[in-house]
Amino acid sequence: MTDDGFSWRGGGCHCGGVRFEVCLPAEVEAQACNCSMCAKTGFIHIIVPESRFRITKGAERLSEYTFNTRVAKHLFCSECGIKGFYRPRSNPDGWSVNARCLDTTDGLDLKIELFDGQNWEANAHGLSHLSKEPA
Amino acid sequence: MSHQLAGHCHCGAVRAILDTPRAAADLPLRACQCSFCRTRGALTTSDPEGHLHIEAAPGSVNRYRFGLRVTDFLLCAECGAYVAAVSEIEGALMGVLNVRGVDLAGFEGRDPDPMIYDEETPDQRLARRQDRWMPVALVEAQPSI
Repeated sequence: MTDDGFSWRGGGCHCGGVRFEVCLPAEVEAQACNCSMCAKTGFIHIIVPESRFRITKGAERLSEYTFNTRVAKHLFCSECGIKGFYRPRSNPDGWSVNARCLDTTDGLDLKIELFDGQNWEANAHGLSHLSKEPA
Repeated sequence: MSHQLAGHCHCGAVRAILDTPRAAADLPLRACQCSFCRTRGALTTSDPEGHLHIEAAPGSVNRYRFGLRVTDFLLCAECGAYVAAVSEIEGALMGVLNVRGVDLAGFEGRDPDPMIYDEETPDQRLARRQDRWMPVALVEAQPSI
């Protein structure tokens, strides 16, 4: 654990080809989004700044899918199709990690709230602070 | 009366049509708790008296296997969606459809039944699938969405 109460946690896709680490506090705000993409993938978002996420294995195995504005970079393992993280349109300066793909949520107080991504334009600004780097 | 329930993956390369004598509300909705399904929040349905027809654009389906390696998890190569799981059982292609992956209408707001199959023997798994899964036809053709 770091001095500020954050700790690095591991996660990955299903086949083990893609691995990542994300630095999280004990209490984490997460979003379950109802947009056309998230509803189909069951993605539960933990949005973090760039410095709190790293790919540790298999970046070359990632497939990228984009649509609409093509700002969001949806990434999934080309072997097992699992989307463990991606560059969200709401926070292109950071990452969104899929809470379902963490190795464990033990010791993590995950507060999952609903995010109305069907009305994305009206709501996305409410997420922008989540990828700001700590001062 | 027969019902035709249709949905597709996000990019539209793979389309699924479930022909069933039941309305969506009368079909099961299962949340398998295996390691694969949990990472996707998969919600599956099947009707042994129905039939699943999958249209996939040429080259758009990836197959993923794990565990006993007898089941193909059909994934859209373009957008990554998990569409269906299929397995050849006594010479016939049988499967379940991921309601979530193709956004199949009529299941909104339902609480799925959590399913834990970890303790099954291979024979028990086969028997369950023979009992619950449905015939599947996978056709390589540009979906008509």
